[in-house]
Amino acid sequence: MYNNPTSQTPKRMIQYAYVFGFLFLMAFAQPTPKMPYKKAGLTEQEAALHLLNRFTFGPKPGQVEEVVQQGLENWFLAQLQPVPDNEVVRNRLVGYQALNMPTDSIVNTYVQPAQLIRLAIKNGFIDKDSVDRTDKPAYRDAIKKMQTEYGYRPLQELQRELINQKVIRAVYGDAQLQEILTDFWFNHFNVSLTKNQIQQLVLPYERDAIRPNVLNNFSSLLFATAKHPAMLLYLDNALSISNENDYAKRQLKGAQRLLDLNAAKKMLAAASISEDSMQKMDAMESQMTAQIKKRKSQGLNENYAREVMELHTLGVNGGYTQADVTALASALTGWGVRPVYEEGPLAKRFSNIPSAQLLRRGLVVEDYFLYSGEKHDETEKVILGKKFPANGGYKEGTEALAMLAAHPSTAHFIATKLAAKFIADVPPIAVVDEMAKTFLATNGDIKEVLLTMVMHPDFWAKAKEKEKIKSPFELAVSAIRATGTDVVAPYQVFTWSEKMGQKFYFYQAPTGFPDRASFWINTGSLLNRMNFGMAIAAQKIPGFKTNLLALNQNHEPESVEDALQTYTKLLLPVSDQKENSERIMSIVRAQNIDQKIASATKDTGGMQDMQKEAMTQINNTPLKSMAQVVGVIIGSPAFQRK
Amino acid sequence: MANRRAFMKSGALALFATGISGLPRFITEAAAGTQMLPMYKKNKTLVCIFQRGAMDGLMAVTPFADPALQLARPGLFMSPTQYAGGSFNLDDHFAMHPSLKSLFPYFNAKNLAVVHGVGSPNTTRSHFDAQDYMESGTPFAKGTASGWLNRAVGLLGHAPTTFSAVSVTSSLPRSLYGDADAIAINNLQDFSIQLKGNPMAAGKAASSFEQLYDQTTSELLNKTGKESFEALKILKSNNIKNYQPANGAVYPNSALGNSLKQIATLIKMDVGLEVGFAESGGWDTHFNQGTTNGIFARNLKDFSDSIAAFWQDLGERQSEVTLMTMTEFGRTVAQNGTGGTDHGRASCLFVLGNDVAGGKVYNNMGSLTKNNLEDGRDLPVTTDFRAVFSAVAENHLQLKTNGNLFPDWSGASLKMML
Repeated sequence: MYNNPTSQTPKRMIQYAYVFGFLFLMAFAQPTPKMPYKKAGLTEQEAALHLLNRFTFGPKPGQVEEVVQQGLENWFLAQLQPVPDNEVVRNRLVGYQALNMPTDSIVNTYVQPAQLIRLAIKNGFIDKDSVDRTDKPAYRDAIKKMQTEYGYRPLQELQRELINQKVIRAVYGDAQLQEILTDFWFNHFNVSLTKNQIQQLVLPYERDAIRPNVLNNFSSLLFATAKHPAMLLYLDNALSISNENDYAKRQLKGAQRLLDLNAAKKMLAAASISEDSMQKMDAMESQMTAQIKKRKSQGLNENYAREVMELHTLGVNGGYTQADVTALASALTGWGVRPVYEEGPLAKRFSNIPSAQLLRRGLVVEDYFLYSGEKHDETEKVILGKKFPANGGYKEGTEALAMLAAHPSTAHFIATKLAAKFIADVPPIAVVDEMAKTFLATNGDIKEVLLTMVMHPDFWAKAKEKEKIKSPFELAVSAIRATGTDVVAPYQVFTWSEKMGQKFYFYQAPTGFPDRASFWINTGSLLNRMNFGMAIAAQKIPGFKTNLLALNQNHEPESVEDALQTYTKLLLPVSDQKENSERIMSIVRAQNIDQKIASATKDTGGMQDMQKEAMTQINNTPLKSMAQVVGVIIGSPAFQRK
Repeated sequence: MANRRAFMKSGALALFATGISGLPRFITEAAAGTQMLPMYKKNKTLVCIFQRGAMDGLMAVTPFADPALQLARPGLFMSPTQYAGGSFNLDDHFAMHPSLKSLFPYFNAKNLAVVHGVGSPNTTRSHFDAQDYMESGTPFAKGTASGWLNRAVGLLGHAPTTFSAVSVTSSLPRSLYGDADAIAINNLQDFSIQLKGNPMAAGKAASSFEQLYDQTTSELLNKTGKESFEALKILKSNNIKNYQPANGAVYPNSALGNSLKQIATLIKMDVGLEVGFAESGGWDTHFNQGTTNGIFARNLKDFSDSIAAFWQDLGERQSEVTLMTMTEFGRTVAQNGTGGTDHGRASCLFVLGNDVAGGKVYNNMGSLTKNNLEDGRDLPVTTDFRAVFSAVAENHLQLKTNGNLFPDWSGASLKMML
């Protein structure tokens, strides 16, 4: 049932050597192995465009030529290397306070609304009886006053920073593949802002668990997400406890003994006991019973264990049973969250305890992860046919996850999902099999799996058909990149993405957004894609500065034909642009906006003047027509595809 | 097909020639043309309202005759005798909150049923988890990709059309996740090709887009494009902006009121609406819940008046429509220290329709003494929400479910439909 991936055939070892050596060879040796796009009938330009379509948020004007110059292989290898934010991104992120804030500071700064109310009562800003009068300005002012005085910040600000940084990095970042994969892996290990308990943790989750690992081994992603408070709370593993351990048994036994004692006492004293003490005893008894019941009823929670197998690793047909789910859930009991909210009851208990002492108490602390032995199931377990002996403690959970990460079903499931993302919604089987092989041979090295993919003919075979449909976020960002729009208000991308059917960071189910065209394209969302195209081209999105003249080196097109040809070339580079522009042309002609776009081009000298003029001319008819041409291109079917 | 294309072209030319501003005439003409051929046959419609935040069912429809209730929540207790012209006695055990005044007549007319003690077998008291489970319809499986209403659409026995399943929300609710086509429209007026401040350009672009999508080689874009433009014309021709509710109905100017008004609009337009979805918020009353006045009373009045206006507006179309409300869980029997109630277990829900065996409070509620309560504090769940959802959906929409509506559930539907 379960194949140990460390037992390899010699043949496979040779494959390893090849794959391991591949990066090295490609970086230093000449000649570099070529990506097999020529066999698929693609020119170098077409192949470069395909790379840009798949591994960036859309080509910027002139970028196809840049990639050709750099060499397609070199460009791709560079994308496989994680790089820090470039200067443009850093400048645009100046003033974002939460992005580099440690998780515990975030939790204690961007407090939850309910916590805010309690703090306001505690600190004497509102009194208990006036609570939640949100309709009263005085109430809101009192809360605001406390926020200012104590340095608390609104939660919405945190979400805004999370959303804006995603947009800014996608639009302006050089590490495009890293951002594409951040989007991909976040969605794969989805958590959601719709769950109140984790609202403060989604930013740290993407920042600390996802982004640094997107090009690492798969297991690093699996472990980082499994131990992150956002995931522990989103899929409830932090609530999962077992009574099958010494601590719990002692506790329950003690409570039970006390209870028995009380019953005995009661019986003995039944004859002469006063009404008052009788009542006290009753109260004590029911309190005891409630405690026992509570401990017992909390119990095992299988949510994470099930989804980690179904959605994160093996896949729904990956060969696990309900018994495996229960066993894995038991192995992961005690995996929880270190409390860090300072006003909470437990935060102080865990600060400043030396690790030796933690260990003695059966606790493991790593960043914000907390393992509590007193909640762990210490019985023997069998997961996917492998026996985990009794008293395995924290380690058995890590061993079980490592086993999942290296499982052949996982290799196949992840290979399929990556191929669906980067090749086609239903990817060819041959390339998936190769990718899965590489996954197993390289301990799940994501870089190597992607290399196997681009070196496979299947990756290139249907490049011309542009089979993938851009997600709403991809559409918005690709339009921004293609038009060189200056995005002063990144949040608008979120607003429009939501209209087009992708409220990112808010997908409620752990499945993440279904990554297929039929999910993205429906009547409501399609019209909004067209509306987005028109709005961005016509400068109707507040905080978006699109300069269509500058995009064309400040040359005004001489006619509608000229405008069409020019902007089709810019926005839909290389690929069947002749066909595209002819199509759009015939339509625009039919509508008789076939007039000269430009009055005579004025020689205005400096670039700044040109921009100024472009802004003032925005209400002039020629520019309106130009905007309309560009709007139609962005809203057209061709621009939805990649 | 050829005819329509030729028409579009001449229409577009005509548009430019006459230079009319505002919405292009060819769109309305095209729409008029489409309207002559009835595109959709009349359907039954199920309208669901999700009350997010967990409504206090014990206050909405209160078992006032149970003395244990008054003991547990002295500050929140209400009874028909307590206030003149106050709550509405339903059956000498339960009474409706005074804010439900506008719905009370439908209870009397036996079109409105209350089901009390409804909830999930999963004991979670987290809003997120409980909503998630209720909307997916699988109370113990988080990874269920589809929502129960989406599955209902899939079980209609015919292919859904553009407007088969519409959620009047800004994004698609969990209930409608899934393979069957479902759309979220926050505002019907936004369902158009539009450009702020330049309707002329929008009109021209609409025509360009229509033809481009008509020619694309992508089957999906082609098909969806066609459907989108057809839908758009239908909506445009119906002049949604100037929609006048019938029968003197007055919708509250609230989120729920506006949502239900739009659903009524769709129903009356005969665009094939079969599942409509709306939301109502603000039910998480931990603080100062109030009785006849206050947060809860205000919210419940909006809820009641919105539904009543919707029903009145429907008029003779009522026979095609059934409306069901739902909330993720109920609230503690006892009041808390801040004049409110905390997260509990069972709540109540309302079902309104001509095919509902109404005028009755369906329940298996025992006395609310402490030892009868779940964990000593909450109204126990005595009716699985799936027993109600399946009864209403299967019956009203004539679903052929074969157990596919609620996988992993083999319980019996509640007998509450005629």
